[in-house]
Amino acid sequence: MKYKTLPLLFLTLGLFLLFPVAAGTQSGNPIALVEAFLCEDIQDNVPQNRTTVFSIERRTAVCYTAFDPVPQQAVIYHQWFHRDKPSARIRLTLKPPRWSTYSSIQLRAEDIGPWRVEITDAQGNIFHILRFSVTE
Amino acid sequence: MDNFLILILSLRWQDIIDIGLVSYILLRFYVLFRGTNAFRVLIGMTILWFFQQVAVSLGLVVTSWVVQGVVALGAFIIIVIFRNEIRNVLLARNLKSILWDFSSKTVITAIETIVQSVHEMAQQKCGALLVFPGKEDLEEVVQGGIPWKGAISKEMILSIFWPDNPVHDGAAIIQGDQIDQVTVILPVSRSDNLPSYYGTRHRAALGLAEATDALVILVSEERGDVVVAKDSQLRIVKQKRRLEQILQEHMGVAIKKGRESRKEKLAFIAAAMFSVVFTTGVWFSVSRGVDTLVTLQVPLEYTKRDLAMEIVKTSINTVNLELEGSGALIKSIRPDQVQVRLDLSKSKAGPNTFTISRKNISLPPGVVLKGVTPSVVDVELDVLIKKELPVQIDWVGRLPDHFILEQASVEPKTVEIIGAQRMLEKMKTIYTEKIPLDNLEVEGVITANVALNPASLKIAPGSEERVTIKYLTRLRNQ
Repeated sequence: MKYKTLPLLFLTLGLFLLFPVAAGTQSGNPIALVEAFLCEDIQDNVPQNRTTVFSIERRTAVCYTAFDPVPQQAVIYHQWFHRDKPSARIRLTLKPPRWSTYSSIQLRAEDIGPWRVEITDAQGNIFHILRFSVTE
Repeated sequence: MDNFLILILSLRWQDIIDIGLVSYILLRFYVLFRGTNAFRVLIGMTILWFFQQVAVSLGLVVTSWVVQGVVALGAFIIIVIFRNEIRNVLLARNLKSILWDFSSKTVITAIETIVQSVHEMAQQKCGALLVFPGKEDLEEVVQGGIPWKGAISKEMILSIFWPDNPVHDGAAIIQGDQIDQVTVILPVSRSDNLPSYYGTRHRAALGLAEATDALVILVSEERGDVVVAKDSQLRIVKQKRRLEQILQEHMGVAIKKGRESRKEKLAFIAAAMFSVVFTTGVWFSVSRGVDTLVTLQVPLEYTKRDLAMEIVKTSINTVNLELEGSGALIKSIRPDQVQVRLDLSKSKAGPNTFTISRKNISLPPGVVLKGVTPSVVDVELDVLIKKELPVQIDWVGRLPDHFILEQASVEPKTVEIIGAQRMLEKMKTIYTEKIPLDNLEVEGVITANVALNPASLKIAPGSEERVTIKYLTRLRNQ
């Protein structure tokens, strides 16, 4: 009996270590998005020039997000859409107790037009949608 | 002969009505305008037109130009110069007689009017003298007279002999359907055989009847008798019908009913035959001339669509129709005469396939359909739904380099859109029209329309078509 339950215990522990976010979000103590905006750059972990319009000459668009609390390590996604067409899905890891993170995309001439970034959890639940335009 | 038979057998009932109607219109023109100067000029113009056609077919360029010019000018001249004559013809008849009546009633109508006028004057004991010349000239016999040249009407005759009218004295001379002269002094009879109660008016009437072959109608002022003087005799006429007969005999209407009536009938039959032959000739030359084949690109029209559905996609929007017909018909085809319609009443949501057949195509008469390409059309329909979509600003252009657009918000944040289900299900955002960045202030408010793309989308009732944009710019941190 003792030898039969031991492998099951190890298996359960292993699963917790492998999928901490899933475990955290299912626990009923969710992570919370406190800040989300677009900016031109991040320098020394500080967002620079918060904006909603990017010129392609700037070459980069950055989506900055801050979460508090982050009860345990979790995964979120920044999903970038050009018009309604998916362009990039960036996986970001959050760590307790609070965490700020960002993603960015490189802008090209064909990217001119309206964009949106959906900030979602691992299950696809949307925290927030940011909208912006890429212009000449 | 066989070709002629084939030609005749190919006639549709519409073609026969077509020829019949135009022939009848031509015949009506003849009936209404025969005997008028306008009609004679019209005949001349027709001959000229025919001559011009011959000149064109022979290649006589200058001649055909000149004749064409004369014909064009002639048509204008007819309307201008003969406008009174044309107006008289049309005004003198009621609608029924314009459309249907074939008899020549000018003289008969005048006689009826005269008889009625005389009868009325007799009842009112209004003295009158009416002279109807025969073949002899009255110029040498009568005196005075004021030219009147008025069309006969009861009112006109009554007013001339009204006692207070300055021209009521003397006689009125009537020529055809016209009062030619009034206040004419007639020669007085010197006969001793007249009753004592006959006055000067009776003697004047008899005097003219003795001197000429004219017929004089007299209305006695004292007794209200109607007396006819003809061939040196005075006769009291009591019945209107008898007076009418006397007038008809004098004016030759009765004789006309014999020989001239037959001649008139023959002329009428000839005119009717000419109208039919001429119209048939023109009809065949127009509709069965040298065949021409032409390909027309015609837009497809979709009809009877269920209003709850929308056309999402069609494989084609135009079809090429190969049409055959006479050159004149093909050249005269107007775009609205050729239509291709597809009935969508039985179509369902999703892809539908239709085959274009003759019943989908409407063509002008005489034009034959030889082919349709492509003959198959795929039409995709979808159910219309409503969906609430977030509005996003579609910025274009660029801000000055040292500025950034820090904030921009839009109100209302969402609008409700109506469109095809498959399309709307894929749409996550609706955009504004393009908003230029170049002219933005530091901060401000702009109103803009929602861009409905594709155009089949509609704003749902109750939802805003225009949105308000608030923005804030600031200097960029370097």
